[in-house]
Amino acid sequence: MHGERPGFQGMSDDSLAWLGTAPIPAAPYHDPAWFELEREAVFRRSWLQVGHICELPDSGSFIRREIEALNVSLLIVRGRDGEIRAFHNVCTHRGTQLVEEESGRRGTFSCPYHRWSFGTDGALLAAPDFERFFIDKADCALPRVALDICGGLIFVHLGTPDKGLRDDLGPYATMLDGFPAAQATTFSEYVYEIDANWKLTYDNFQENYHLRFIHPRSGAPAVGEDNPFGYPVKMGFHGPHRTQTIWTNPDPAPKPVQAQSFGRAARFAMADGTAGPHSRDYLALFPNFFILGSPAQPFSHTVWPIDARRSRGVIRLYWQGEDDCASRRYAREYAMASARDIHAEDRDVIEAGQRGLNSGALKHIHFQAQEALCRHLFNAVDERVQAWRAERTGTTPVARAEAIA
Amino acid sequence: MTALLPAAFEALVPFADRWVIDGSIARAARRGDADPADRAAFFTAAAPLLDAALAHLDRYPIDTLPQAEQRLMDMMLTLAHVSLTEEILGDQEPAHARQRQSMRITRSPAGA
Ligand code: FES
Ligand SMILES: [Fe+2]
Repeated sequence: MHGERPGFQGMSDDSLAWLGTAPIPAAPYHDPAWFELEREAVFRRSWLQVGHICELPDSGSFIRREIEALNVSLLIVRGRDGEIRAFHNVCTHRGTQLVEEESGRRGTFSCPYHRWSFGTDGALLAAPDFERFFIDKADCALPRVALDICGGLIFVHLGTPDKGLRDDLGPYATMLDGFPAAQATTFSEYVYEIDANWKLTYDNFQENYHLRFIHPRSGAPAVGEDNPFGYPVKMGFHGPHRTQTIWTNPDPAPKPVQAQSFGRAARFAMADGTAGPHSRDYLALFPNFFILGSPAQPFSHTVWPIDARRSRGVIRLYWQGEDDCASRRYAREYAMASARDIHAEDRDVIEAGQRGLNSGALKHIHFQAQEALCRHLFNAVDERVQAWRAERTGTTPVARAEAIA
Repeated sequence: MTALLPAAFEALVPFADRWVIDGSIARAARRGDADPADRAAFFTAAAPLLDAALAHLDRYPIDTLPQAEQRLMDMMLTLAHVSLTEEILGDQEPAHARQRQSMRITRSPAGA
């Protein structure tokens, strides 16, 4: 079986040099003033992944989502007409937050304060003693937020999108359509809080340099003799978004229960037809979303900034169909538990990195060639922050963030 | 009186009171809190029966398992968590258990 096979060949360092080789300013990874700029320059100007259509199965199904970076609470609802819409979770009378539950199903949304009530399409339906106001009901609908869907995933835009979602994603839109999440009807989820900047956190999950040190046991299948650091087979870029094709050890030597568990998952994936051409592809969509095309561990990860030095991660494994038998239920439990084990190992060391950066001791940090995805994220953020700053001051954007560093 | 576990799985009866656990959150927590020797003994007894247990359980509709089968199901779901300690982590488990607490399970198809 084991004939000669070609050794690992990743991306040559030269092929990534266009991203630059200079040291990276440290301030964007800890400075509150920089984060204030990112709120508008990055988060107000990007499509943000906030959920999945399977969370809104019926007319009246809703989810509430908090986006701390923009001080926004969103109410996302499937209307009677089947359309999914996003609104600010804000009563148009005097601003009270309309919905406290994280999710549920309702025919109308009634404000707890003076009982204005809104339909699933955001229209103001009824308000006590409304004759005494000096406005029309038609002008009191919930403020709408741009929403679009790709590959089953719900994205919102809290500014004025200059491109539709699919247009923005370019070739990655079609890839997303082919990922297991596109067909998902349910998911596993775990969440974490972390005392670390969102980029520092996110970067951990888009470089493989750390795998052998931080995941010596749980990550064994991701490294090997041919490729001791587990570098990607391929990397690609489109605008601020990026992709990698992950490498897996061809001789992973799994443990018995591990082999049985992933074996079952693989058989289900084959039978369901979810094992597509993208099963080793991983999309990193700007600014803060990842998703993996693997049908055995079809996970997504969103890193939400809370402030300059705190974030929240939401990790999901998307599944197609309810559990229809014991084996499937077992395979899903194992997939979640094993993915969670690996993610658990990263958190401490990311926080340690943040503590070091918060000291201000470093003016710069460094990315090696194979940390290209991290550098690409920085470049995209920096470009947007510089452009935003220039718009506000009427100057031309400077090339890099050196000004603040 | 009904059996605690299906006939072929009587070897696991001594573990039932600690390792039949409802809900992914509770299963993950027990893995971390358990007495290490008891956890290892459970793994040693249950891992070789995993395939047979799932083959047995697959013959029943998942949402209406008889009580003994439901207990076996919950035990195998707990084994999924425990196996990661026993097979993969080994002596890294104590530090890892603390790190895992920060990853809060909020939803699973089996019921969080
Ligand atoms: S603030 Fe909502 S009804 Fe008054
Ligand atoms: Fe990691």
